[in-house]
Amino acid sequence: MKRIGLLNLAAQNLKRKPFRSIVTVAIVAIAAGTLFSATLLISSVQQSLKVGMKRLGADILVIPEGAEESSESALITGVPTSFYMDESVLDEVRSVPGVDQASPQLFIESLISAACCTGHVQLVGYDPDTDFAVSPWLEENTQGPLGDSDVVVGSLILANKGETVKFYGQDFNVVGVMDATGMGADESVFMQLDTAYRMAEESQQDALSALDVQRGQISSVLVRVNPEVTIDQVAQRISTNVPGTVAVTANEISRSVTDRLSGFLRGFIVLDVIVWVMSLLTIAAIFSMIVNERQREIGLLRAMGSNRNYIFKLMLTEAVLLTAAGGLAGILIGGATLFIFKAVITASLGVPYLWPPLWYFAVLVLGTLLLSVLTGALASLYPAFSSSRLEPYAAIRQGE
Amino acid sequence: MADSIISLKEISKTYKAGPNTVRAVNKVSLEIDRGQMVSIVGHSGSGKTTLLSLIGGLTKPTSGTVKLNDTDIWTLPDKEQSLLRNRLIGFTFQFASLIPTLNVFDNIRLPSTFDGTALVSPERVQELMDKVGLGDRGHSYPSELSGGEQRRVALARTMINEPQLILADEPTGDLDEDTEAEILAIFRQINEGGVTILIVTHSKAVASQASQTLKMHKGHLTENLENS
Ligand SMILES: Nc1ncnc2c1ncn2[C@@H]1O[C@H](COP(=O)(O)OP(=O)(O)O)[C@@H](O)[C@H]1O
Ligand SMILES: [Mg+2]
Repeated sequence: MKRIGLLNLAAQNLKRKPFRSIVTVAIVAIAAGTLFSATLLISSVQQSLKVGMKRLGADILVIPEGAEESSESALITGVPTSFYMDESVLDEVRSVPGVDQASPQLFIESLISAACCTGHVQLVGYDPDTDFAVSPWLEENTQGPLGDSDVVVGSLILANKGETVKFYGQDFNVVGVMDATGMGADESVFMQLDTAYRMAEESQQDALSALDVQRGQISSVLVRVNPEVTIDQVAQRISTNVPGTVAVTANEISRSVTDRLSGFLRGFIVLDVIVWVMSLLTIAAIFSMIVNERQREIGLLRAMGSNRNYIFKLMLTEAVLLTAAGGLAGILIGGATLFIFKAVITASLGVPYLWPPLWYFAVLVLGTLLLSVLTGALASLYPAFSSSRLEPYAAIRQGE
Repeated sequence: MADSIISLKEISKTYKAGPNTVRAVNKVSLEIDRGQMVSIVGHSGSGKTTLLSLIGGLTKPTSGTVKLNDTDIWTLPDKEQSLLRNRLIGFTFQFASLIPTLNVFDNIRLPSTFDGTALVSPERVQELMDKVGLGDRGHSYPSELSGGEQRRVALARTMINEPQLILADEPTGDLDEDTEAEILAIFRQINEGGVTILIVTHSKAVASQASQTLKMHKGHLTENLENS
């Protein structure tokens, strides 16, 4: 026969005061939901920075003075940009002590009418002889280096491997689609530097609008630093030794993103702490009320022969049921909100976004649930304990 | 005294009420033999409910010892004392004592579920419902029952673990005569099955059915009559 388990009895009790139960669930849901979505947001941004910066592979980005902001938004959120400096910068950077590797890149904005894509995309030319950002990926994922009219594309570019895309009147073969990083690279199209120059030259005849890029111009220099020196030092040297340029470290970029995020989240976190404390106190208050209201019933259960432990567990189970439900609701609502408003949030904050791996997601869900349940257990601990200690006869009389 | 199911030695229960001490039960000694049906009478406030609670271990005596089946119940840890209460004793109370969230069927079997091992069969629950004349009300909730019906459910519940002792506090207190007679008949039937019964009552009809009548007055046991 089906048992009348504690869980069953506890659940029935909660149904008795639906409004009170729902309010409790709602409070916990708010606490759990804000915590869950804020943590998920932070983790996703960090995940994206981690993956994206690894893909970039550079310690320092050297760009023309004044291009700091647009280069950051290009890197982080994929807002296409174009700025140029003379390729002589490359040799000057190389000669700075502490620079191990340096490789130039050329940024070109596609025309809005590019066949593959809605809006502009960033075309990136890299130098296959010195490159350390795209080439390792190519080595692993395609057969050797790119040909003259080959491109690899970021994950958000709507083109599949084997298809042809058209930029500035030229056709290019897509030979690979890169994994998502959540950063600007997802909306970039990579080609050899030489291909990019040739595209610019031929655009004079073939394109709807000609490209004003000459050989000898580059947009940035990616730098890898000798492990024996600090990255900040080298960046400093480059900025002073190479006039007209700024050296931005990868760390600085990550930090500026994290700062922007934490500025936004600080209020959130304060709010969250307040809500948790409030829900703890509310549940404690509600459960001392429940214990008071149900004294006679508790006395009755004791008279029928349930022991103290049973009463204690019954009260705790009620609290845990409520808070687990609240935690679950919070996770669902918070997760859904983030999922739906992801684009709005990341665009308005200017942060990259990449969902963390599944195992991390699971840990986050379980952690939030655990915290909710612990809150319930903690809040109801004293009421549950004192109810279990009531003398049965006194409990029955008090209920009169 | 192997035959005594209840043995009270000089038990007292006092309460502090402001500056005064209320002696709710005052030096009561008592032996009850197995299989008896005993009624307890006395004015309101004379200590009947307190006495019953002391016997059942629902409250601890200020002094004196309570033995059930030769076991001093206050030497037992909570777990064992609760188990003893669960297995040995059935209580019915002055007031409606059903759990409102459970239906009749589940209310009756509730005391058999606390430790998860003593699962009774549905047939046993049905048998008890039949016995108290509510064979077809298993799915009803307490709020759907009359006062008399609720009493009968409570009575069926006291029987679920086949207790040796039933402690009934004014089980027919607010019932009409016909219903009282029905309930009383059930008590008699239970008693004939060998279960010892203590009934607190104001009703002469009920008291007259008992084999023994105890009279309480201001906390003292003043009379102990063997009925013919
Ligand atoms: N918990 C208590 N606190 C104070 N006084 C109590 C308590 N329980 C019982 N009493 C007092 O003890 C006396 C006996 O009460 P009770 O056993 O309920 O009597 P009866 O059941 O015969 O009406 C009464 O005067 C009552 O007020
Ligand atoms: Mg009474």
